[in-house]
Amino acid sequence: MEEYSREPCPHRIVDDCGGAFIMGCVGGGLFQGLKGFRNAPQGLGRRVAGSVAAIKTKSPVIGGSFAAWGAVFSIVDCSLVHFRQKEDPWNSIVSGAVTGGILASRNGAAAMAGSAIIGGVLLSMIEGLGIFFTRFAAEQFRNREPHIMPDANEGYGDFNSSGFGFPGAQQATATS
Amino acid sequence: MSDNFSRTPYSDGHAATHEEASKPHYTTTTSSFSRTPVSPYLNYDSRYLQQAQPEFIFPEGANKQRGRFELAFSQIGTSVMIGGGIGGLAGVYNGLKVTKALEQKGKVRRTQLLNHIMKQGSGTANTLGTLTVLYSACGVLLQFFRGEDDHINTVIAGSATGLLYKSTAGLRTCAFGGAIGLGISSLYCLYLIAQENSSNSSPKYL
Repeated sequence: MEEYSREPCPHRIVDDCGGAFIMGCVGGGLFQGLKGFRNAPQGLGRRVAGSVAAIKTKSPVIGGSFAAWGAVFSIVDCSLVHFRQKEDPWNSIVSGAVTGGILASRNGAAAMAGSAIIGGVLLSMIEGLGIFFTRFAAEQFRNREPHIMPDANEGYGDFNSSGFGFPGAQQATATS
Repeated sequence: MSDNFSRTPYSDGHAATHEEASKPHYTTTTSSFSRTPVSPYLNYDSRYLQQAQPEFIFPEGANKQRGRFELAFSQIGTSVMIGGGIGGLAGVYNGLKVTKALEQKGKVRRTQLLNHIMKQGSGTANTLGTLTVLYSACGVLLQFFRGEDDHINTVIAGSATGLLYKSTAGLRTCAFGGAIGLGISSLYCLYLIAQENSSNSSPKYL
C-alpha cells in the first residue's frame, strides 16, 4: 500500500464502485453516528445505543447510494474514453451530468434535468480544483530565470586592465 | 570457450562452419549457443545476453505482490455488483409472482416490478458490501499490526467479520456468526492451500 494508482478502464468500474461504497459507508457512518447520538434520549448508555442503531440502519444505505453513483459514473466515463479516444476533464464533467440524469430517471424529466445540472456543476468544481492544484504543484518545478550577462564587447580591444582582454569586475562576474 | 576470431574471418561463413566441423575438441558448452558467426568487432560475446530471464524493476521498499489495501476496493466493488445482480434477479422473480397474484396490468405492473427489483437488489448489494467492508478493514488492520500477510490473517478477519456483523443480536447469535465466518474463511484457505500444493507456485493471499 505504498501508492495506489487507478486501474485501466474495464477494471476501473469495479474499483470505483468499491471505493465509493467505502466512502459512503464510513463517511455516512460517522455522520449518522453523530446524528444518532444527538437524537437519542438522555444517558450515555442510551446515546451510544442510539448511535450504534443509527449506524447499523443508515450506513449500508448511504454506501449503496455512493456505490451506485460511482459505478454508473465509471461506466459512462469508460464509454466516453472508448468513443472519444481521449482522457480529459470533459469526460468527467459529462459523466457526472449523465450519471445525475440516469439515477433520477424514475422521478420525471424535470428531476432528471435538475440532477444532471447538479452532477455537471459538481464535477466541474472537482475538475477545476484538480487543474488548480496541478498548476500550483507545477510551479514548484519551474526553471528559474536565466542570469543575464553584461555586454562582453566592451572588453575587446582594451588591453590596459588585464591580460585576458576583460575588465576586472566583469571577469569576476564571469567566474562566478 | 575461447573464440579465436583472427583465424575464422566473419565474411566466410561456410569456411567457419567447415573448420568447426573439423575440430572435434570443442566442449559441450557450444550446444547451448547458436552457431551463427559473431562479429570480431564486438568486445563482448552478445550471445550471453540472450540467456537472461526477464527482470522487473521495483520501487525501493515496495512489495512484489499486491497487499490487502489495493485489493480491498476490487473485493468490495465485486461484492456490491454480485449482490446487486443476485438481488435484482430475486426481485424480478418476486415481482412477477406478486403482480401475477394481484392480477396487475400495464403501468401498475411495470412500476411494481421496478420497485421489487430496485429494493431487493439494493438491499442485497448493501448487505454483501457491508460484510466485505468489515472483512477488508479487519484484514488491513491485521496486516498493519502483525506486519505479515498470510492465511492466519484471512481466518481471523473472517471470524471477526462474523462476530462484528452479529455483535448486537445477542451472545448466541454473535457466536454463531463468528463460527460461520470461521468456517467460510477456513474453507477458502484450504482451497488456496490445495491450489498452492498442486501448482507449486507462490500463494496469493487475499
